[in-house]
Amino acid sequence: MSTSSYFLPGTIDEAVSLAKAHPNDHVFYAGGTDIQLHVKQRLIKPNTIIDLTAIESLKSVSIQKKNMKLGTMVTLDQIVKNPDIQKFYPILAEAAKSIATPVIRKSATLGGNLKVSNRCSFYNQSFDWRQSVGSCLKDTGDICQVTGGLNHCYSRNVSDLVPALIALNARIMVQTSTGINEMPLIDLYVPDGLIVHTPLGVGGIITEIFTSDEPSKWWFKKLRLRKSLDFTSLTVAATVNKKDVLRVCVNGVSMAPVLVETGINDVTLEGLILQVKRACKTVDNDYMPLKYRREMISAFITDCWNTFH
Amino acid sequence: MGRVIGKPTPLIDAVQKVTGKAMYTDDFKFPNMVYVGLHRSPHAHAKIMSIDTSVAAAHPGIKAVITGKDIPIAFGVLPISPDETAMAVDKVRYVGEIVAAVAGETPEAARAGADLIRVSYKPIKNFITPDESLVECSEDEKIHQHTKNSKNIHKIADLSFNDPKDGIASSSFTRSVDFKFAGVTHAFTEPHSTIAVWNGDESLLVITATQVPHYLHRTLSKVLDIPLHKIQVKKPALGGGFGGKSDPFPHEMIASKLAILTNRPVKCTLTREEVFLTNHGRHPTEMTMSVGCDVAGKITALDTDIVIDGGAYGSFGVVTSYYNGVLLQGPYKIDRFGFITRRVYTNKPQSGAMRGHGAVNPRYAVEVVLDMLAHDVGMDPCDFRQQNFLSENTKTVGELRITSNGIRECLETVRRKSGWDDRYGKLPNGHGLGVACGFFISGSALPIIWNRYPQTVVHAKLDFDGRIVMFSGASDIGQGSDTMLVQIAAEELGISMSRVQVEVADTKLTPVDLGSYSSRVTFMVGNAAKQAVDKIRHQIAASVGNEKSVPREAIQFADERVFTDDGKLNLTWDEAVDIAMAGRGAFVESGFYISPKLGGKFKGSGAGLSPAYSFGAFIAEVKVDPMTGQVSVIKVWSAHDCGKALNPLSVEGQIEGSIHMGLGQVVSEDMRYHNGRLLNANFWDYRIPMTLDTPEMDVTIIESNDGEGPYGAKEAGEGPIHPVLPAIGNAIYDAVGIRMTELPITPDKVLTELRKGGQQ
Ligand SMILES: Cc1cc2nc3c(=O)[nH]c(=O)nc-3n(C[C@H](O)[C@H](O)[C@H](O)COP(=O)(O)OP(=O)(O)OC[C@H]3O[C@@H](n4cnc5c(N)ncnc54)[C@H](O)[C@@H]3O)c2cc1C
Ligand code: SF4
Repeated sequence: MSTSSYFLPGTIDEAVSLAKAHPNDHVFYAGGTDIQLHVKQRLIKPNTIIDLTAIESLKSVSIQKKNMKLGTMVTLDQIVKNPDIQKFYPILAEAAKSIATPVIRKSATLGGNLKVSNRCSFYNQSFDWRQSVGSCLKDTGDICQVTGGLNHCYSRNVSDLVPALIALNARIMVQTSTGINEMPLIDLYVPDGLIVHTPLGVGGIITEIFTSDEPSKWWFKKLRLRKSLDFTSLTVAATVNKKDVLRVCVNGVSMAPVLVETGINDVTLEGLILQVKRACKTVDNDYMPLKYRREMISAFITDCWNTFH
Repeated sequence: MGRVIGKPTPLIDAVQKVTGKAMYTDDFKFPNMVYVGLHRSPHAHAKIMSIDTSVAAAHPGIKAVITGKDIPIAFGVLPISPDETAMAVDKVRYVGEIVAAVAGETPEAARAGADLIRVSYKPIKNFITPDESLVECSEDEKIHQHTKNSKNIHKIADLSFNDPKDGIASSSFTRSVDFKFAGVTHAFTEPHSTIAVWNGDESLLVITATQVPHYLHRTLSKVLDIPLHKIQVKKPALGGGFGGKSDPFPHEMIASKLAILTNRPVKCTLTREEVFLTNHGRHPTEMTMSVGCDVAGKITALDTDIVIDGGAYGSFGVVTSYYNGVLLQGPYKIDRFGFITRRVYTNKPQSGAMRGHGAVNPRYAVEVVLDMLAHDVGMDPCDFRQQNFLSENTKTVGELRITSNGIRECLETVRRKSGWDDRYGKLPNGHGLGVACGFFISGSALPIIWNRYPQTVVHAKLDFDGRIVMFSGASDIGQGSDTMLVQIAAEELGISMSRVQVEVADTKLTPVDLGSYSSRVTFMVGNAAKQAVDKIRHQIAASVGNEKSVPREAIQFADERVFTDDGKLNLTWDEAVDIAMAGRGAFVESGFYISPKLGGKFKGSGAGLSPAYSFGAFIAEVKVDPMTGQVSVIKVWSAHDCGKALNPLSVEGQIEGSIHMGLGQVVSEDMRYHNGRLLNANFWDYRIPMTLDTPEMDVTIIESNDGEGPYGAKEAGEGPIHPVLPAIGNAIYDAVGIRMTELPITPDKVLTELRKGGQQ
């Protein structure tokens, strides 16, 4: 990786001030499993690397019956193997287990997964490939290679933890140079393939994710060709809590995760599918065909519905 | 039989490889070495108007820049189709074709230099699909001017015996089905890599990851105009080939040319994306497979019409065109038989030879159609196949000579082991079994370049130290041919394997072997090696017999001793060697193999001829998820007749590897293009099955002991891939009642067929 500076802060404060000092060209480096790919394909060229791996306070795990708090430097491997997560939040363990491969999960972190880059089969290509098609809006070009449009990018949010965490009604803590904020995880995502994430503020780091919404029922499924390694073509995570609130979160088929939250008895299956499909802007930018992915949205939600009823 | 032969034997280089000690091409470093950067075409089909190399040449660290005009002599692995140059000369024919190359002091400088080359192009009409290439076009639009038609057809291969069309028309049951196969590529582990060194005496050393040192040797001589005796091609440890390293390649010529120009050692290692663009993988194929049978389920006729997509250049395509048809002549007896294959040029990276060469796609088609016919007739698909098998020691209608044949035992074995009779057609919906068979050549009986030389020569050397060194041009590409050479010497001389060493795949030191392709090495090199060491044994026996006054015929070689059964002679190996050395010192013996004269007298009769054929039968068990259409292959039972397993461990490995590779083609692998640009040129998006996708495998080796193979051996490297794909396709039918005719069988296609409600 050719970068001009590399920092290894020991505290969150230090990391935030480093970020503040390099406002436009820094990247937080967690496990690096997403960043490295983008550097290799010359999609990003970070000048300043702020490596978060030495910040111990970001690695805490606390699960007390209903309350789960996870530091963002917790690895996916830890999530898969944690007995309390398996017991109280199995949907999260299941989601983590569906990601990449056992080896990659040892480096990949929760924080990195919350901010994993959006993907598109015309964008996640080598430099030469992109040059040969004339690039696209998300890169240096001026049209979308999928739609031919001049304004909108439909790159897909492909995180698998995010839908599970949103279905768990999770919230995140963000530390910036001006203080600490709390927000619902869903608010981190912007349904625009060029923007993708809500700006966190100067030097902003996501420090922690937490939830106290222990579900009474859960459902998780990821669509992909192979049983490991592949990114999602569609991920659906859903929970029903003690108050009969149904939360269905769909990812991998739109620019941001799509959430439908409703009383389980206040909606029909058809109504639910319609709401989800209306909110998804699915285009033909994945290796699985568009028509099939759309069909699978209905199929997955139907299966989930049948499991819950 | 055998102290060494027939025993499961770890490959002699296995420990070196797994501990990282083995030296692959890219591991070699030379003082003052420079690196190659390649500039590739962004266009699928375009005329090169001008190339400006001035900025690149002036870039710091750039030592030389060359373009197509610097190496203009055409080549091709088959002397009948030399349609390729090291770099594009007047026009480019696919996205990724090499247009210019630089030598740089560092890999980074080379990359930067290559990026600074400016080329101006005038696009020409693109021909991306075979359909486009089968339509008339103007002369200046044609991909290659040399084709003798106004379309982009490279080769038409056809044969017909006993009017098959009429045979089908008059059959009681007939099926004629269209199939479509995506292109797949070898996906070997080690990327292409070459180091070229121009020596002070104007001789060229090329260290390279190749399956065919001999063909590269010849091609370098032709293209660079260097005498054959001044070229040394060496193949070091090699990380997989599967046919993908069996052509002479542009980067090998470019590195050599740059070594001459810069007078410095030159290294060229391709990136994974470049390896995908180099391709030479299995041809994307479309075919109509028609087969007829009578009411008793006896096959009456087969006729097939095939189009294969060759991409931009010829490679092995002429052979592939024939193999698509001729290798349908077994393992079933079919008297009325015909095919036509058209190989078209398209503006994509070229197709070539890949494991199971030419026969994998038609094998899928015919085995699925036979399955349909079995159901039409109302017979069990295993019974149907059993009654149609060729016998041993027979000839096919196209005069392929069949010697040993273990197909019956293969099918009986997998049928029994899988519990077929109790389970086929009786498993719950979504769960099924399927069967398929196959056969393949053990080496092509005819050389690619016609001459009267043997197809291989092996030298065995004995010196005072008691060591045997086997000199062979054979390329061990991971299949274990080096180990085979050692096993044979140890077996014949009764010594331990540790006394035998190999010197291989080096065109200066080792006698010519044609290469590791067409599953020829065990059969041909094995026979030659056995002959060479037998001569050594005779020499030792003669010397010892003479000196100790025992009849040489009574002398035995075993357990590192040279003895007679009556105990009169009892020497250690070293003592016997000492006697054999007296008065002459070290000596070398030579063995060779020439295939017997085979085949008929008609045009095309040479295609598919082999001194022996392997046979196999596989059964697959699958589950199909009716909601998503996803296919999970749970278990594969395989039985393969390799004649005699010289090393059962490596035969098992070949069969397991074939199952995995076949699985990839049938369920997930696919070279996907967007306007001629390969979309998935990496190991993430090109979907090779992962561990979790790979089924349990049950492997049985069937030994039919071929009369002409070394110790009875035939082949095991390619044959086992053929039955895998159709066994899975047929199992999907048993599971959910649909016939999948387009590969890969992705879930969307399964769902579409399920929606249609299935067919019979
Ligand atoms: C082969 C392979 C397969 C994969 N498969 C999947 C998959 O199936 N599903 C999936 O979801 N992902 C997948 N990934 C992507 C990636 O591995 C995961 O998303 C992983 O969790 C990212 O974590 P990381 O720590 O490696 O992130 P990094 O690469 O270090 O960072 C990713 C992004 O997050 C930002 N970031 C990291 N931590 C913070 C923080 N605390 N605050 C603010 N920003 C932060 C970084 O700046 C960067 O922009 C795969 C990756 C590979 C290489
Ligand atoms: S959706 Fe369009 S703009 Fe966005 S990454 Fe893909 S091609 Fe580019």
